[in-house]
Amino acid sequence: MEVGRLPISASQRGKLISAGYTTLSSLSSLSPSDLALGAQTAWDMLHEDEMFPRITTSCLDLDNVLGGGINCKEVTEIGGVPGIGKTQLGIQLAVNVQIPVDYGGLGAKAIYIDTEGSFMVERVLQIAEACIEDMTECNGLLRKDFQAGQLKMHPNNILENIFYFRVCSYTEQIALTNYLDKFISEHKDVKVVIVDSVTFHFRQDFDDMALRTRLLSGIALKLMKLAKEHGLAVVLLNQVTTKYIEGSFQLTLALGDSWSHSCTNRVILYWNGNERYAYIDKSPSLRSASAPYSVTSKGIRNSASNCKRIRMM
Amino acid sequence: MAPLKYLEQEYPILDSNFRNFCATHGIFSEQQSTSERLKQGITQVLSIIDGQHQPWLNGMELLEDAQLNKHVLSTGCEGIDLLLQGGLRMGQLTELVGASSSGKTQVCLLATSNVAKKHMDGVVYLDTGNSFSPQRVIDFIRQNPDPAIDQAKHRILQKVMNRILCHSVFDIFTMFDVLHQLEVNLRSQMQKGDCQVRLLIVDSISSLVTPILGGGGSQGHALMTSAGFLLKKLAHEHNLVVLVTNHTVGGEGGISKPALGESWKSIPHVRLRLSHDQGSSIYNVSVLKHPSMASGKAARFTIYD
Repeated sequence: MEVGRLPISASQRGKLISAGYTTLSSLSSLSPSDLALGAQTAWDMLHEDEMFPRITTSCLDLDNVLGGGINCKEVTEIGGVPGIGKTQLGIQLAVNVQIPVDYGGLGAKAIYIDTEGSFMVERVLQIAEACIEDMTECNGLLRKDFQAGQLKMHPNNILENIFYFRVCSYTEQIALTNYLDKFISEHKDVKVVIVDSVTFHFRQDFDDMALRTRLLSGIALKLMKLAKEHGLAVVLLNQVTTKYIEGSFQLTLALGDSWSHSCTNRVILYWNGNERYAYIDKSPSLRSASAPYSVTSKGIRNSASNCKRIRMM
Repeated sequence: MAPLKYLEQEYPILDSNFRNFCATHGIFSEQQSTSERLKQGITQVLSIIDGQHQPWLNGMELLEDAQLNKHVLSTGCEGIDLLLQGGLRMGQLTELVGASSSGKTQVCLLATSNVAKKHMDGVVYLDTGNSFSPQRVIDFIRQNPDPAIDQAKHRILQKVMNRILCHSVFDIFTMFDVLHQLEVNLRSQMQKGDCQVRLLIVDSISSLVTPILGGGGSQGHALMTSAGFLLKKLAHEHNLVVLVTNHTVGGEGGISKPALGESWKSIPHVRLRLSHDQGSSIYNVSVLKHPSMASGKAARFTIYD
């Protein structure tokens, strides 16, 4: 039966037809929340959240403060001084998103947008091999009823599932952000987009600061939309700069005040003595806490120090 | 009861052409019974024209409207309620300004949970940064345990959560669409279930306006001010509390100031500035602008985890 014949008001009919529903059969499989064109009740959102698992960072302490890992449908900004391990964390997430569902992962693919040229394929291979080793170990320890060799993943498979883009200017970065929607519609199993680093091309040679603010807020909104519509996690890696606040120079994340509002969560990586720590700076639902982590040849792992308790702020 | 031609001196528009037109329709003087139907038609047209704008109200009617309809909604946070002499007022646009991580979204979520649970009214939440956290709303709902709620917990929680409607908007035109649709729904009184929308939150309006503000054109300013007017109109006509959040930018001498510039300053009725001492759960709120309170009044409040 045609939608045009349904006994509903003309404006509602028009909306259904313009959204593409022309026959009754196309409507029958939808739930009311789909038809509300973007609106959801909080109850539905709560249950939807339970369907989206989080991406582990391979460091238990860090996962704990993050509430299980990096959340899908949100934009997480990770910032820190050079050498703290931002790229390492980015690569670890690109590998961990591919962990099969049986092992508690998402079994999905990753997009890695490189603006600085710091993506080293050899390192990705190393981390991928370590990840597979860990999974086989887990296979051996816990799933004795499975046959050995059940895990058919090879490091090359992991490399195949990371889509790599290299951008060399801010216009390319904006163009790529606009193109991502189409790309992800064609590759529906991408569940994480990592941008390393989002600030690089906007820091040099920018005369018009007002233009920069507008472009950056535009990019932030597009990434938010991408995260929400496709149900994926967006991870933005950011650099730090010094700022003159209240009489002294302090380290803050780059790109200014207005950029700091363009992410859902923010994690700041810092040095504490010889240890690397991660601190939750901004989150709508997690409390502020910091956790130690370390960068090893296998990737990001738990800190090897004695005091492993999470410090609550 | 004068014939039309004697009215020409006072009303030059009633010239001979007009009188000829009236003559062809059988109208010769001001009051004529044969033109009853025409008169009714003209009265109808005039009332339609009058309906296009808000009715003229005098002071007494405004006071009555304020006393009957424009009540105060508690935010669920004692510190803010005390500062605002009761809470957020219906019919007013309240703005929360603050640096990143100063508690704006937390106050919005707290107000949402309070309105849905205690006042049992509907909430519409426009989220631009994927920051609406249903889990956090549940935490707030569970914070003040109500003996009535404990008994039929799950069902009541579902009812409360179903009163909160969340839209994700990522550009200003989508926000206009959503607000116009809300206006149509409120006007035709199509309420979802049994609850009436009482709280409208836009978190944050500055992320929608910043990409279009400036750059030589005035379209950004025009969109921003018309968004502000639409929100105030919704607040006044349908007795809603409208809450928006704004961020801060660097100003003169390194002191931060609210974003969106000078033209936005006069649009909200109430402007509150939030800040947060890092590492503690104590927040500061101060009044930047209020129609009936001096600016500069400040208070502290805590939001528990």
